[in-house]
Amino acid sequence: MILGFDIISLSLILLCAVLALFIRDLMGSVIVFGAYSFLMCVVWACNGAIDVAFTEATVGAGVGTVFLVSTIYSTTRIDTFKKNRLLKQLFMFAVVCVVGVLLLKTVTDLPQWGDAGSPANTHLSAYYIENSIDQTHVPNVVTSVLADYRGFDTMFETCVVFVAFIGIFSLLRIRKSKTKNAATTSPTTELTLPPHQEVDSLIIKTASHLMVPFMQLFALYVVAHGHYSPGGGFQGGVILGASLILLAVSYNFKKALSILSEKKIILLVSLGVLIYAGIGVICFFLGGNFLDYSVLHKILPATDTIMARSHAMLGVEIGVALTVMVSMYGIYLSLSSNGRFDKGL
Amino acid sequence: MIPFLYGAGLFLLINMVLVFIRAVQGPTVIDRLLSINVIGTKCINLIVIAGLIFSRLDMFVDIAIGYGLLNYIAAVCTAKFYQHNKTLSPDSGASS
Repeated sequence: MILGFDIISLSLILLCAVLALFIRDLMGSVIVFGAYSFLMCVVWACNGAIDVAFTEATVGAGVGTVFLVSTIYSTTRIDTFKKNRLLKQLFMFAVVCVVGVLLLKTVTDLPQWGDAGSPANTHLSAYYIENSIDQTHVPNVVTSVLADYRGFDTMFETCVVFVAFIGIFSLLRIRKSKTKNAATTSPTTELTLPPHQEVDSLIIKTASHLMVPFMQLFALYVVAHGHYSPGGGFQGGVILGASLILLAVSYNFKKALSILSEKKIILLVSLGVLIYAGIGVICFFLGGNFLDYSVLHKILPATDTIMARSHAMLGVEIGVALTVMVSMYGIYLSLSSNGRFDKGL
Repeated sequence: MIPFLYGAGLFLLINMVLVFIRAVQGPTVIDRLLSINVIGTKCINLIVIAGLIFSRLDMFVDIAIGYGLLNYIAAVCTAKFYQHNKTLSPDSGASS
């Protein structure tokens, strides 16, 4: 914990949040929120929580801003502010104040920051730190907790990403046969879209062509090296997805769909979850519990029960990375084309 | 070495505050975009400095590389947005 850094960056974060509320142009708010996530990442890094910092960095810098910009592109750009709603706003302000006071009251019940006697530090952490390397041969305790000891949590987190993609895709998707009906019943939705023209920039295309291979290589390193350094399936998957988004942004929508078509996106998202759950089910058939990786040494060649856990963690991370990568890409395509999948940002 | 690193980090943070003033004032979105990009670059340096202070640079440099690679995408995406939507002030942009 580096105190001076924390104080300045936390106060800048507060300023960012207030500033984002006061800017009426929503593009401005989105850009200011970019700084919010940069500074949050610095706070995590200064507190030594590097895996969290990495997640914040990839999600905040890579895809968060892109999702918001593409949402604004297909909806509206002005924050509608009506002055005659004073009573409603006062009521909302009162509700926010009451919730804030209640939350601040519960802060006093939490253990002190870095308190060695708090329950989390006396029971769980000590067990993981002492036994992780003996039981799994994984030096990064965060990875072994995430993928092995708490495997169920991570499996359902992957399912949450999957459900988020399926939700956005099925809410926004408009089939071509139905667009004519929608246009006749509600023509207002058509008018909000800005006039679309194809833009073609040689500089952006060449720069992306040079960047994308390195980004994907780095992402594969993050997935595979998660046992030893910060990173893993989520972070690597987001970087992979961001590299695909970069290609889609710098080229047109046709190129984006030629990389991964709609059918392939849905197939690969499901495949990632299937890999994770499938490894759990294989453990089941080999006589262990669900996601008890140590029994996998029966089918993996030249491994004992400890190395089997290490290898199975890598398999699980690959499943997570696949789901996250394709979900990020699919969410971007749905948002920027407003569900039509024909033209977009 | 450590006091020097603290000093460098604090200097970067104070610079960040100065750049942030441009984001607060910024009459157009482009001013805000530039100032936030500068804050992003300073954050990369700050993460590396934090790694040096903890003397675990090998762990922190991954985050910095990831940041450096991904910082580019948001700028490209915003630029593409303005190519489609060629107005800087939101009020005239809505009518087009």
